[in-house]
Amino acid sequence: VQSGSKWATAAQHHAYFYPLLFSSESFSNLSTLPLEMSSPKLNTGFQERSGQPPGKPELIKCRSPEKETFSCWWKPVSDGGLPTNYTLFYNNEGEESFYECPDYTTAGPNSCYFDKKHTSLWTIYNITIKATNEMGSNISEPHYVDVTYIVQPNPPVNLSLALNKHTDGKLYLLMNWSSPPLADVRSGWLTLEYELRLKPEEGEEWETIFVGQRTKYKVFSLIPGEKYIAQVRCKSDHGEWSKWSSESYIHLPKEFRLKDMMVWVFVAVLSSVICLIMIWMMGLKGINMVACILPPVPGPKIKGLDAHLLEAGKNEELLSALGCQGFPPTSDCEDLLVEFLEIDDSEDQQLMPNHEKGHPNKNLKSGNKETDSDSGRGSCDSPSLLLEKCKESRIPPAEFQTPDFSETQVKAAGKSSQETQNRDPELKLPDFNSDGVKSSTWPGTQLASSQIPKGSYHNIVEVCKVAFSAMNVNVSAIRMGNEEKHPSKYSKNIETICEGEMTQRRKGESFHSKAKADQALQWLLPNEKSPFLSDKPMDYVEIHKVNQNGALAVLPKQKENSDKTEIYPIPGTTKEYAKVTRVVDNNVLVLMPESRVQGMPVFQEPPKESAQSLHQSQAEKNMSYCLTAPSEFRLQTGGLEYMDPNSFMCSFK
Amino acid sequence: MSTAGATLAGLLLVILLVSNMFLSKKGVTSSPICPNGSISCQVSLGDLFDRAVKLSHYIHSLSSEMFNEFDERYAQGRGFITKAINSCHTSSLTTPEDKEQAQQIHHEDLLNLVMGVLNSWNDPLLHLVSEVQTIKEAPDTILWKAVEIEEQNKRLLEGMEKIVGRLHPGGLGNELYSRWSGLPSLQLPDEDSRLFAFYNLLHCLRRDSHKIDNYLKLLKCRLIHDSNC
Repeated sequence: VQSGSKWATAAQHHAYFYPLLFSSESFSNLSTLPLEMSSPKLNTGFQERSGQPPGKPELIKCRSPEKETFSCWWKPVSDGGLPTNYTLFYNNEGEESFYECPDYTTAGPNSCYFDKKHTSLWTIYNITIKATNEMGSNISEPHYVDVTYIVQPNPPVNLSLALNKHTDGKLYLLMNWSSPPLADVRSGWLTLEYELRLKPEEGEEWETIFVGQRTKYKVFSLIPGEKYIAQVRCKSDHGEWSKWSSESYIHLPKEFRLKDMMVWVFVAVLSSVICLIMIWMMGLKGINMVACILPPVPGPKIKGLDAHLLEAGKNEELLSALGCQGFPPTSDCEDLLVEFLEIDDSEDQQLMPNHEKGHPNKNLKSGNKETDSDSGRGSCDSPSLLLEKCKESRIPPAEFQTPDFSETQVKAAGKSSQETQNRDPELKLPDFNSDGVKSSTWPGTQLASSQIPKGSYHNIVEVCKVAFSAMNVNVSAIRMGNEEKHPSKYSKNIETICEGEMTQRRKGESFHSKAKADQALQWLLPNEKSPFLSDKPMDYVEIHKVNQNGALAVLPKQKENSDKTEIYPIPGTTKEYAKVTRVVDNNVLVLMPESRVQGMPVFQEPPKESAQSLHQSQAEKNMSYCLTAPSEFRLQTGGLEYMDPNSFMCSFK
Repeated sequence: MSTAGATLAGLLLVILLVSNMFLSKKGVTSSPICPNGSISCQVSLGDLFDRAVKLSHYIHSLSSEMFNEFDERYAQGRGFITKAINSCHTSSLTTPEDKEQAQQIHHEDLLNLVMGVLNSWNDPLLHLVSEVQTIKEAPDTILWKAVEIEEQNKRLLEGMEKIVGRLHPGGLGNELYSRWSGLPSLQLPDEDSRLFAFYNLLHCLRRDSHKIDNYLKLLKCRLIHDSNC
């Protein structure tokens, strides 16, 4: 109405005409009826229905960066298609009224910023948010906040990295930063602690360092030439960690250390000097380096075999040079072979080399050779090689005499056996140069070989050698393992092995039918029993009894052959070796029975008879042998000392 | 006879030790660096403040942890916080509420306030230790923390008395104190009410220990480092 002041408003939906109702009074002024029509309002979203009241708002978090102000953020809600207004109300602990947020903008959208005036510590704020739109409003749950416990500072600023030199010349990285600008650390209102992290640009893991309240830090262990990234963050003393600051970079220079270069130069010079000296020395001595590194392949050559003769076709001369008459080699060749089968364990102990030295058992010369056959020398396997290779080893073949069982073998066999103790760790059979260290196999082998008739010497030699070379490794292994325990067994084993081989060649030879063989050697030991030969092969004796002086009554080993003596092998009896404790009266050996001796075998009468007969037959020879034997014996104190019982059989005369 | 002699010797030894303990008045103490009264040998004020700040920091950490544990375990969904408004017994002491107020107050008054709050907590802490054990299935961590806080609070009080003695030998004058009367509520038969009483006490302890820590750090920077920490 014109005179009126108020507009009559009518909202129209989907209508294009509207009946106006007027009272009669106002009708007169219809001509001057002001009419306004607002432009139609377009609804976004096609809802024919009206908007909805907003959802329930929710406070996300409140934070104080310096314990003097704080801000709160909330999550916007579904507004139901209508613009939503948010209002934040808070209530201070101890006050009744609610206040509205003083600042909605400073902290960003959907936030409320409380400045210093509106911030109180050690009080609980009760904060609620109200979302309002045209249709309605919604209030969030109350949120209780105490500013004291929501402190999270801004990250530190001005992180600077600089390389400095320490007093001792070492390079280190100096890191400097400052506290975030708003934090009041100087007055002590806020106490900040810092944390650094570093990593090389290519690296994956950060190295984090807690620094405390200082604002600088020195880093020492850095890799020269690398590019490093660094960041820093801080935390209020009872609050939360800030975000990491922006990255700072530094590129470390590659270090050239004079000291390193000097070291390399020095090393190069020194090595070159040494090389020169070595070459000069070799030149002086005339050593042909080339020949040493690449030795010329030797042409096949048999010593004594003249190639020219061969060409000339003069076989006789050729073969005579070898010392053999005709082929196959005869017993003369034994000398040749024997010559190189010398076992020498010490200078003074001249075990009779060959037939040169006067040995009481001259007649046993062949026996020497025979015994030699058992000296398992790997390098002397074949006769042809003997000549060349057997120079080194000097075997006193004389030691291996006394092939005959009936003839006492005092000799050197005992001595050598004495000397050959199981203590020798060196298993190279060919090499007997080590003092006093010989395998105890030798006595056994000597004995064994002594059993071989002369005629078959070569064969046996070959065979034994082959066998020994074959089992060289085994023996070594076995010796190694069993040295301490069963030396005698080894000797016996080898002996029996050779014996076994011999029997293959010569049937009728008798030898130990029974020998204790180690498992490894069993294959070499055919458990054959052959009739006892009339050759009276050398044999082991078994301890029959011990008289008061410690002298042993020994019995020849049992043989199957009943011809000789009725000695029966006692199954399961171990060969017994005695330990020499001392020599008495220059010809009596005081023996100590071996601890592992299984007790004295008690033989039946037949053995006794044989023993007696043995003694008698050997009396003469035993005497002589006994006399000489002690001088040759070398008693060794301590350790195991085994000797051929035959050698001291005279002791109980 | 030998056994009797040995027994007698043992007994004598025990008597000696016990008497020694009683004579020295304290169980085991380290001998002080500076005996009381000698002027030439004195711990510096800076060191005294350092120790005090360390103690207050530690006490607040313990209180905070204790409150969080209790809240997690016993107070979930019970709406205790809504009721814990204006419920601390030390609220009668007007303490600065923000930095400006804290910087304007004189250090003497601030020290006085600190002493008052510390003294006011002596009694409640004692009863907290004894009563917290009666909570159903109270975890050990809460128990030993209560004991630790009570002990450290006494030490802090001693340290503060030394500091006050150095700064103001004549004493501070107006001694502040708030009496605590919450013991009956800790012993209520109703479990819910009792738990709320504990919640309230722990909440107030957390707040007050933070106050003390903050004030002491302020004082240290102001007095020792001349506001240039």
